[in-house]
Amino acid sequence: MNDADAAAQQIVKTFEHQIAGIGRVQDIPVVSVAKEAIPTIAHYIHSMAAFRGTLSLQWAVDLRPMAARSQIYYLFSLAGHGAWLILLTELPDGDRLFPSITPRIHAAKWYEREIRDLFGLIPEGHPDLRRLVRHEHWPKGTHPLKKDFAWDHVMGRQQGEYHFRRIEGEGVFEVPVGPIHAGIIEPGHFRFSVAGEPIMQLELRHFWKHRGVEKLFENRTLADGVSLAEKVSGDTSFGHSLVYCEAVERLMGMTVPPRARYLRTLFLELERIHNHIGDVGAICNDAAYALALAHGGRIKERVMQLNDRLTGSRFLRGVNVVGGSAIDLSPEQIDEVVREMDAIDKDFGELSAIVFGNASLTDRLESTGTLSEQIAWDHGVMGVVGRASNIDRDVRRDRPFAAYLDLTFRVPVYTYGDVRARVRVRIEEVQESIHLIRQVRERFPAGDVRAPIPAPPEAGRWALSAVEGWRGEILYYLMAGENGAIHRCKVRDPSFVNWPAIQFAVLGNIIPDFPLINKSFNLSYAGTDL
Amino acid sequence: MFRIIKKSLKTGVVTGRYPQPTAPVPHMTDETKAKAAPFGKSLTIREVDTGSCNACEMEMNALANPVYDVERFGVHIAASPRHADALVVTGPVTANMERALKDVYQSTPDPKLVIALGDCAIDCGAFKGSYAVTGPVDRHIPVDVKIPGCPPRPAEILAALRALMAKTR
Repeated sequence: MNDADAAAQQIVKTFEHQIAGIGRVQDIPVVSVAKEAIPTIAHYIHSMAAFRGTLSLQWAVDLRPMAARSQIYYLFSLAGHGAWLILLTELPDGDRLFPSITPRIHAAKWYEREIRDLFGLIPEGHPDLRRLVRHEHWPKGTHPLKKDFAWDHVMGRQQGEYHFRRIEGEGVFEVPVGPIHAGIIEPGHFRFSVAGEPIMQLELRHFWKHRGVEKLFENRTLADGVSLAEKVSGDTSFGHSLVYCEAVERLMGMTVPPRARYLRTLFLELERIHNHIGDVGAICNDAAYALALAHGGRIKERVMQLNDRLTGSRFLRGVNVVGGSAIDLSPEQIDEVVREMDAIDKDFGELSAIVFGNASLTDRLESTGTLSEQIAWDHGVMGVVGRASNIDRDVRRDRPFAAYLDLTFRVPVYTYGDVRARVRVRIEEVQESIHLIRQVRERFPAGDVRAPIPAPPEAGRWALSAVEGWRGEILYYLMAGENGAIHRCKVRDPSFVNWPAIQFAVLGNIIPDFPLINKSFNLSYAGTDL
Repeated sequence: MFRIIKKSLKTGVVTGRYPQPTAPVPHMTDETKAKAAPFGKSLTIREVDTGSCNACEMEMNALANPVYDVERFGVHIAASPRHADALVVTGPVTANMERALKDVYQSTPDPKLVIALGDCAIDCGAFKGSYAVTGPVDRHIPVDVKIPGCPPRPAEILAALRALMAKTR
């Protein structure tokens, strides 16, 4: 019996009369409850000292045509080793209301607005029912993830206006930024309210890039969804395709050959290395230290050229396939990787020494954009940003996937939560990743790299999987449809969770520091907007 | 200071250290070349993302790193469309970005070029037909050059830009 089972037992004991049933999928206890009881039980899991459950994901499923009802899932990661527990409630066809848990659990706020936009189910009691994904020009009643909505539906346009939260008073100004920004970055809108220099309020308006990814997954079969997962967020192509493959493999009960598991670990760490190194340079550049950008860009390019030589793709696309890896590496190639990593370890170490030897630069990084541990925890913040604010979570350690169970590494955690801490976490993670790649060479098993794909699972079965991408925990929920089709695919990039936290990290800082703070978070817009 | 100089000396010159592109340079019509002619050896680019996965952006950013150093060929990246000679558009044009794209096009002074970068910008790629996509780019604004790839490598983008800027006989 693990932590989650014990927790499930205690919940059943405490709320005896409200529990409709308890089941188990993979190693996750699933507690079914009536919808009225959801806020109380969710708050209980969230606030009890023994559980301290973080809401990791909330999503809905339209079960038609299998059954005429909808489901809403609440995934909690419990304190300690992050054991998973799911709360599940069902709404009969025609019932569009479910109680909101946002007043008690902040982390639910975007999930519930997303469910409302995409499924037309209304979170009763949600303090902010403005549209999130659907911009104001989408016609009323457009809910794309409902099963009676065609994937290639041609939308009309309507008039509408989005109302930003306003602060009014003498000397208070609003500064709108975006969706098109000054640099080569993705589109998003930021609305600042300032009095003088300091930021009093920041409000995000995202989802400009909504491409309908989750609906497009429903057009694919389980075996060929990988190439779409690679395009959810290009900078995390490998992370997303890996978590997708792991979800399908769990759903089909497949065992991935050990050699493929090691290859996946190697490539996931390469992706982490090139992104982190590029970020360290880019963060320094936003504090006007161009030298670090030049060196960071150079080292990052070196890793991406290595990716290209190994796999034929600078973004490691086309490597992951359901059941293993499409490519294998020869001993010479592995040696080449480790040689490059040794050189980069030294090269990047020298760059870090230059960065932290520069007092005028570190002065800009310290105490800028501080995200407190309390706010980080309240909003379920994770990944690099979370670990810089003392949220000690890393899927590689807590729920080992690929080959991480066999390997040793340290998870760097800082308590300050400022830009400097986020740079520190990245630098140390690069060192750990290089260390991991050396271990992969030492322990690299022989054998096949690809397992055959078995018969498709029966419709209605589902699986959940998590991978620590370079930004943080990526989650995929997959429900199988008829004959190996995908009935529902819920994609959750860590950016979706971390974006709202930036609204708190910037408070009291000056607008010229915003690019620096934003870069230190470096969140994906594409992965959020889907 | 000594540390910085030592690092620079040890690193040496890295510009040009990349494999030559194998993909063919995109075809450019005489009309396109004539449109590019007034810009001579200097081309200022504004990049617009209308729904890409960010891979094309990363490769555009890579163009500015010391290895490709696009500025040595007279290509600059502008912060505003009002300063741009050419727009580089990536992504399949989402319903939410359609208006912003048209606004950017209007804000760019004539004469101007439009370059569609990547498979998504050219024919919507994996997102073709989706309810949330109204593209491709040339459905909304005239496109002069198409650079295919998912994403095209920086060396390929560079070769296309150089071909665009090369003098006609």
